[in-house]
Amino acid sequence: MIEETDISKEGLLTAYKNIVMERLFDKKMLNASRQGFLPFYIPLMGHEAIHIGLGMAIRDEDFFYPYYRDFGVLLQMGIPIDTILSQVFATATDNEIGRDMPDHFSLKKYNIGAVITPVAGHLTSATGIAYAKKYRKQNGSVITTFGDGATSTPDFHVAMNFAGVYNLPMVFFVENNQFAISVPTYPTKDKAFSNTYEETRGAIYKKADAYGFSGIRIDGTNFIEVYRATRKALESAENQPILIEAMSYRMGPHSTADDPNKYRTTTVIEGGDKDPLVVSQKLLKDMKILTDKDISSINDEMEETTSQLIDKYEKAPKPDKSTMMGNLYEEEPWYISEERSDIQ
Amino acid sequence: MTQMTMVKALNSGLNNAMERDDSIILLGEDVGTDGGVFRVTDGLLAKYGKERVMDTPLAELGIVGFGIGMSMAGLKAIPEIQFQDFIYTAMDQIINQMAKLRYRTNGDYTLPMVLRTPYGGGVHGGPYHSQSGEAYFTHTQGLTVVTPSNPYDAKGLLLSSIELNDPVIFLEPKRLYYAGRMEVPDDYYKIDLRKASVIKEGDALTIITYGPAVPLVKSTVEKNNVNAEIIDLRTLSPFDLDTIMASVKKTGKVLIVHESPKMFGVGAELSATISERAIDYLAAPILRVTGLDIPIPFALEDYYVPNEKRIMAAIEKLLKY
Repeated sequence: MIEETDISKEGLLTAYKNIVMERLFDKKMLNASRQGFLPFYIPLMGHEAIHIGLGMAIRDEDFFYPYYRDFGVLLQMGIPIDTILSQVFATATDNEIGRDMPDHFSLKKYNIGAVITPVAGHLTSATGIAYAKKYRKQNGSVITTFGDGATSTPDFHVAMNFAGVYNLPMVFFVENNQFAISVPTYPTKDKAFSNTYEETRGAIYKKADAYGFSGIRIDGTNFIEVYRATRKALESAENQPILIEAMSYRMGPHSTADDPNKYRTTTVIEGGDKDPLVVSQKLLKDMKILTDKDISSINDEMEETTSQLIDKYEKAPKPDKSTMMGNLYEEEPWYISEERSDIQ
Repeated sequence: MTQMTMVKALNSGLNNAMERDDSIILLGEDVGTDGGVFRVTDGLLAKYGKERVMDTPLAELGIVGFGIGMSMAGLKAIPEIQFQDFIYTAMDQIINQMAKLRYRTNGDYTLPMVLRTPYGGGVHGGPYHSQSGEAYFTHTQGLTVVTPSNPYDAKGLLLSSIELNDPVIFLEPKRLYYAGRMEVPDDYYKIDLRKASVIKEGDALTIITYGPAVPLVKSTVEKNNVNAEIIDLRTLSPFDLDTIMASVKKTGKVLIVHESPKMFGVGAELSATISERAIDYLAAPILRVTGLDIPIPFALEDYYVPNEKRIMAAIEKLLKY
């Protein structure tokens, strides 16, 4: 978490390393899922600049309610890597003891909400958390992230309306990666679009107008822009909620159960000039913070770090089956106690 | 002690709780200025202000989700859904967030909140103001489902629900809201949520019932001098197995009475549980008198819900068996 109003050279380098780290973790975790170490995985490629920019922007006094594609935000926020990877690999040391899918973090002590699978299912909760902040007169804002698909749900519109009515310290942050699985957010030039419909006709960021606050659209491939816009939003949200639509592109499949070749022609390719990793390298090279030599050495360093970590967590012990019945209620009901003997 | 209706008792309970704990927030449609369409929150806005007694936009999904967020952040939300019939747009929040939060996070987050809503018949509300949907909640792991049958229990069970560190679905039988008054303490008191109440002792059969059907069962048994033991469950889930089993083993005959439909209902679970554990004690089949397996009709509601005739027919069948 960077406390300065703007960013030091070290801060930018750390951010860049985390972008590289997220990219490498993503590849290795996708690989782990193909090899059977992860039953399911949610790819991240294309979201790195958003994630790292968000992680830089979120302050200690803010509350972050993520969705299921936010791995890199936690990296940049400085959450211990053991906490992150034990959740992803559902190990015995996971604080959720392997009860939820990869990237479904719950980290109350870091002011992070409990990621929920149903799309937008956390938006009204995040809004209620913002009310609690306001009621208790606490500093900071609540920021919640979600995909473009979430903006079609009743939850999104209800949460936006409540945030407007009670004038809550809320930042609604859309990671618009252009697709809700196979359906494009807006009409596209993609060849597959001729046979389908878009998610919405109205620009997402403009929907804030209907709820009495403002919305902005930013470049989600530029982590510095994401950082600056989000930090400013977290500050201004203490007076009025705000909606941010960050434009990016989901370079991978929606999940490991998805084949994007069926529905689109990939328009942003890895290593191409719209790849957020390449955009970040160019930004930092232009600022004379990064050289080609640095890029190579950082990549080598991160390759080794991530390989060792993935190797460790792939082999880490899974939770014992005796743990699965606990913590349904504070006081365990008689039938739960009885059903423990059904675990065989 | 004051003579109170169930509405007054619930209002008194909310007031006692809010007085001692400023983390309690009420929210819902018309709960503020209007005091709730049944007047359960009457006068509380004037006393506690609109930061704690919040009128909300008309969106059940939002009322529940917003309440969940408050309780995640250390407040204690008590949302009201104006009629249980309208809760379904919030079912995703109830089932996927409220009920599962403690389990899926292994207790990283807990959710102390009480979702209040009037349910059942009694006001001739037809298909959309009379539903008894308790089975939707009792079949959801992680919820505590409570329903009172008189003003004293209503207040005590509500205060216990508010103190619970887990989410409660608090179903208020609207037919009993103004059905009568009884002596209710003005002060704070609690009733054990995991204990059923034996409201009448007897030897010939056990009648298990709850919520809106309790006064009907009681009056039927008294009027016809039936030697029945009557159990008011109070909490439907998790229900009090020990009280049920002790009574069943004593009487050997069981009748279950509830206002909601029979198929896949609360009575089915009670019946199965009793059969699994006490078949050797049973001298007759377990019978159920329930609402009919149709949506509740507007004009003919009185024939839909259990009545004295249907209850007595079942009792006589069991006694003769």
